[in-house]
Amino acid sequence: MAQVVLDKVNKKYDNGFHAVQDLDIDVADGEFLVLVGPSGCGKTTALRMVAGLEDISSGTLRIGDRVVNTLSSRERDIAMVFQSYALYPHMTVFDNIAYGLKIRRMSSTEIEQRVRKAGDMLELGHLLDRKPKQLSGGQRQRVAMGRAIVREPQVFLMDEPLSNLDAKLRVQMRAEISEIQRDLKTTTLYVTHDQTEAMTMGDRVALMKAGVLQQLGSPQHLYDHPDNIFVAGFIGSPPMNMAVARLIRSDGLSLQLAETVLPIPESVVRARPGLARYVDRDVAIGIRSEDMEDASLARDDAPESRVRAKVALTEALGSEIVVHFDVAAPKPVTADTKALDKDAQTSDVPVAHRGNVFVASFGPRSRVRPRDDIEIVVDRERIHFFDPDTGHAIRD
Amino acid sequence: MAIIGTQAGPALSTPDDTPPPYEVVELGGAQGGWFRRVGWSHLVGILALAFSLFPIVFVVSAALNPVGTLSSSTLFPTQVSLVNFTDTLAGSFPRWFANTLIVGVLSAGVAMFISASAAFAFSRFRFRGRRGGLLSVLLIQLFPQFLAIVALYLIFTEITDVWPAIGLNSIWGLTLLYLGGALGVNTWLMKGFFDTIPKDLDESAKVDGATHSQIYFGIILPLVRPILAVTGLLGFIGAVNEFLIASVFLTDDRAKTAAVGLYGLIADDQTRNTQFGLFCAGAVLLAIPTVLLFMYLQRHIVGGLTAGAVKG
Repeated sequence: MAQVVLDKVNKKYDNGFHAVQDLDIDVADGEFLVLVGPSGCGKTTALRMVAGLEDISSGTLRIGDRVVNTLSSRERDIAMVFQSYALYPHMTVFDNIAYGLKIRRMSSTEIEQRVRKAGDMLELGHLLDRKPKQLSGGQRQRVAMGRAIVREPQVFLMDEPLSNLDAKLRVQMRAEISEIQRDLKTTTLYVTHDQTEAMTMGDRVALMKAGVLQQLGSPQHLYDHPDNIFVAGFIGSPPMNMAVARLIRSDGLSLQLAETVLPIPESVVRARPGLARYVDRDVAIGIRSEDMEDASLARDDAPESRVRAKVALTEALGSEIVVHFDVAAPKPVTADTKALDKDAQTSDVPVAHRGNVFVASFGPRSRVRPRDDIEIVVDRERIHFFDPDTGHAIRD
Repeated sequence: MAIIGTQAGPALSTPDDTPPPYEVVELGGAQGGWFRRVGWSHLVGILALAFSLFPIVFVVSAALNPVGTLSSSTLFPTQVSLVNFTDTLAGSFPRWFANTLIVGVLSAGVAMFISASAAFAFSRFRFRGRRGGLLSVLLIQLFPQFLAIVALYLIFTEITDVWPAIGLNSIWGLTLLYLGGALGVNTWLMKGFFDTIPKDLDESAKVDGATHSQIYFGIILPLVRPILAVTGLLGFIGAVNEFLIASVFLTDDRAKTAAVGLYGLIADDQTRNTQFGLFCAGAVLLAIPTVLLFMYLQRHIVGGLTAGAVKG
């Protein structure tokens, strides 16, 4: 067991591409840290640098109390699970799992014992004499896990290990990997582009964009207190609703969102002194879908919390009803929102033509139907404020 | 009219005087007789077979011909006897045969290993001069080998003075020469195959703690068996059949390979007719190791060994 410390780690390729910039991450002993971000954000490169498969251009990497910058992979005492599993096709499952131990010249009884133990843990016991091509995707994934577990390394590195599985299996393996990690208490760095995996598995989540760390914290912290529009839009499903609104002063601060005026509670203004600087200026606001509720179901019936809207589409999911409605205020456009659009692959549709559609999740007893004119109660305590140009959260 | 419902085409309002629709139903487009559809390909096959079998049949029957002369040889033997074989084996042929096997096995085996090592480096490592190295290997390969014969002959005359064991009139010198000749094509062929082995496997082994040589011998070589078999086979056949360079290098009867030795039997006009049976018997015997090797390697010459390596 060991902690992993990345201190101002950079990766610059010969062609000038700066894949990872000044990455500072401190993974505590036994922690499960998820590196998440859209494709091409440098998360895999960062992981490969920790694994020793990629040179570190500058900065310091420590595993335990050793600086390992110049050590080879074998000297770092790590185990890695690859996206492709990378099982050796000419070896049986047993030999695949035992390979790292044989390389280290462990006695055959010890190898046998460890492989059996890992096999039992992953329910692979009956498959040990099969070849990888005789296994299903989920079983191959388990073998790849087994190969990492059996080594009892200081650190697990996992590079999108679940992305080749179908949705149902992914949910199951997600839980299993978390459980195994919790049992073994091995420091784990886990790379994924799936924010759900990041939210559900990580003790802490590091969100990266274009080689730069955006925010590092517990999943709930990133969800509740995003540092910028990118974090706000990336974490959470459905993504946070965004709009440009004007901050006006009328008896305290209020938000003018299209024709509606929403007074901002005093507690919110007190928690964000920086808001005062934006009076009579535009701000980007974000509202999560669950912070809006059908007014007829809401307990908070303060009339100033209400917004009128026309329902465009409803999706009844049983446990909730997802309601889409148009908002007359434009979406904020910053570097962050462009990166988010690119990630969602919607960037080829001009923003102006799409309008701004909000998504709210109402309680299952809501009776709204498409084309209804409804009133929505917004939880004003939980509105997020961002600078419309830089995308940074407005705090102090 | 329940039947109409099962027929092709619009069945409604069929006039009574038209033929019932079920007669026009055709399954598939089979037109013409058996020969036009299938038979011609049999004919082509039989012709190709006859064309390629003719020389083999001729040589085999000449080898079995007890008279043993070219003039008495026919496509199908009138008499059968093994006298040519026993005569061949009583002469220098066993020695030539052994020389051929040594040169063939050694040059194919060692060339396979050297090329595989070179291909591994070219495929897996990034180093200064990698591109230049690959291209020059290809470029050198483009020159026909016999352009170099004069130069090689001169070089090997010098070597013979210094170290006769690997000079002229030695199968070891010839083996060395074949090794260099095979390197270029094999390296390119193998590099192409090595590139199809996912790099994840190397990296995974590396993280597991394997060294480069452990990765090479333990992971990569077992997975490139098909291409090893192909290059090994080609190298062996090439060395066994090579005549031009061998005839220049090997003049001593004891050092000759079978190709050179057998040619010597029928080289001059006096002996061509009388020793044809011996020549053919030797040729048939020489074909045996190649055929056996081919049959043995056949099951290795299949791709798809990497199936199941990555992804599901």
